[in-house]
Amino acid sequence: MFLEVKGLTKRFGGLLAVNQLDLTVNKGEIAGLIGPNGAGKTTTFNLITSVLQPTKGRVIFNGEDITYEKSHAIARKGIARTFQLNPLFGDFDVLQNVSTAFYISDTSNLFDMYFNTNKHRRNQKMIMEKSHEIIKMLGLEQVKNVLARNLPHGHQKMLGIARALAAEPQLLLLDEPIAGMNPDEVEAILKAINKIHEQGITVLVIEHNMMMMDICNRVIVMNFGQKIAEGTPQEIRDNEEVQSAYLGGV
Amino acid sequence: MKRMSAEHQNSINKSKEKIAKPVLLAVLIAFFALFPLFVRSPYYLHILSLTFIYTVAAVSLRTITISGQFPLAHGAFMGIGAYLSALMAKFWGWLPLLCIPLSALATAVIGMLVGFLFSRLRSLHYAVGSLFFGIGVIYIIYAFPCTGGYTGMMGIPRLFQTADKMTYYYFFLVLALISIVALYRFEFSHIGTILKAIAQSHLVASSVGINEAWYRILVNGVGCFFVGLIGAGYAHYNMAMSPTAFNFMATLWLCMYVLIGGINSFAGPIIGTFFLFLLPEFVRDLQEYSPYFSALLLLIVIFFMPRGLVSLPALLKSYFLKRGEGERISNVSGS
Repeated sequence: MFLEVKGLTKRFGGLLAVNQLDLTVNKGEIAGLIGPNGAGKTTTFNLITSVLQPTKGRVIFNGEDITYEKSHAIARKGIARTFQLNPLFGDFDVLQNVSTAFYISDTSNLFDMYFNTNKHRRNQKMIMEKSHEIIKMLGLEQVKNVLARNLPHGHQKMLGIARALAAEPQLLLLDEPIAGMNPDEVEAILKAINKIHEQGITVLVIEHNMMMMDICNRVIVMNFGQKIAEGTPQEIRDNEEVQSAYLGGV
Repeated sequence: MKRMSAEHQNSINKSKEKIAKPVLLAVLIAFFALFPLFVRSPYYLHILSLTFIYTVAAVSLRTITISGQFPLAHGAFMGIGAYLSALMAKFWGWLPLLCIPLSALATAVIGMLVGFLFSRLRSLHYAVGSLFFGIGVIYIIYAFPCTGGYTGMMGIPRLFQTADKMTYYYFFLVLALISIVALYRFEFSHIGTILKAIAQSHLVASSVGINEAWYRILVNGVGCFFVGLIGAGYAHYNMAMSPTAFNFMATLWLCMYVLIGGINSFAGPIIGTFFLFLLPEFVRDLQEYSPYFSALLLLIVIFFMPRGLVSLPALLKSYFLKRGEGERISNVSGS
């Protein structure tokens, strides 16, 4: 099992945001996580990446229990994510936003940096090449020297994905990547997700939009912190419980 | 075509800057290197030596702030370096030149321990936490008899055999230059970039694998190393000191140097320290009014240059450019 969530529970005072959630993601798939507002999808992401600590339950990644690991350690183990409100390094340009993530895996130490040794120069060159590759793949080449906070919304969302990719993940968690975008931008993001998937990176994506559901291999539906359905996009569309959850029926 | 020329102009400006900066730096360094040859007054050499000392303290304080946290214990760390070195030299009889780097290392270790303790605190909580640490350090110094307590410590071994101010002037000039270059390289290294990333969003930084706590501990160590270094140098230069030199007021003055000069720029604390240190020298005729005069200048700087004295050239440039444009417009309407 690639990512396995077992009996995950998060209680905020009197509110059970996530309640006994079981969830699996298989290697190499695009999985969708959908549900009405307040269903606990983003909380689930925050629990997986240790932004929040669960009240109960386990998160297992590649056979290893990562429930109580720190966020940065989880990122290094291969789970990268984007955020719903998409915070960026606003005072950095696009290139720096991406390359910063590579710096942590840079093996050159303070001595190399101070004296600009060959090793340091070689590493620096490699980081720049890798960063450019990601930027090129996601179509951000035109804006690579623009400050992140001056970018239009669509590019900012794309940059969020680019930055997450720079952490060189095996599993990419995307939190509403196409919320509030125009159709052209949506298409660009969907293409990008497909490209990422082709590179062998597993994707788990939170989304309401049906266009996103169509590129998913499997969809998991949450409501009131619990999983209420799971299946192919078509199965989910036909599921009555899902329909009533979305339409607020009985 | 217009755009091309604008780009061309831009590149010319950039290359101008590229030449102007090193030239300016070389002139400044040459000025300070040659200064004692023309001005032999021990008083001015003393004032400038102190300015070099506090410049390093202010620059190292700003280095810690690039991680997005503002510590209020930097004066106390200077004291830790000063007292450790003074005690080692006085009671163990070690060479001051050996005590200075040793106590700088010890200060760095203490700084990292404090950074570790406070690594979960952010912004105001961190500032207040470090503030109390700084106050605590002063009381610890008071508590030990070997430090001389309230009356201060006397008879600290001299750094060099001579009492000649010029020797010390050059010593602190070189020490300050080395420290500033080291801190500059640190800030513009990968580590500096990661620290700036943490300052912008610790959430995003940890989501790409940056260990926020470790980098904040590291920058505390680096900042405290240099302030401990210069504090130790200060102790062996002054030969006597009391804890009041490192109390909360001292920390506040360091913050002032950084903020007046401009916290967003590396040159900020350097300019701020020189401004605030040398300002009273220029208004010495008005000695009894000097505090008011300084305060007024500070208010003016804070009101009109919120980004610090560093932004003065840019502000003047934009002011004159705007005026120039205004004139051009009035000319057109006049004709």
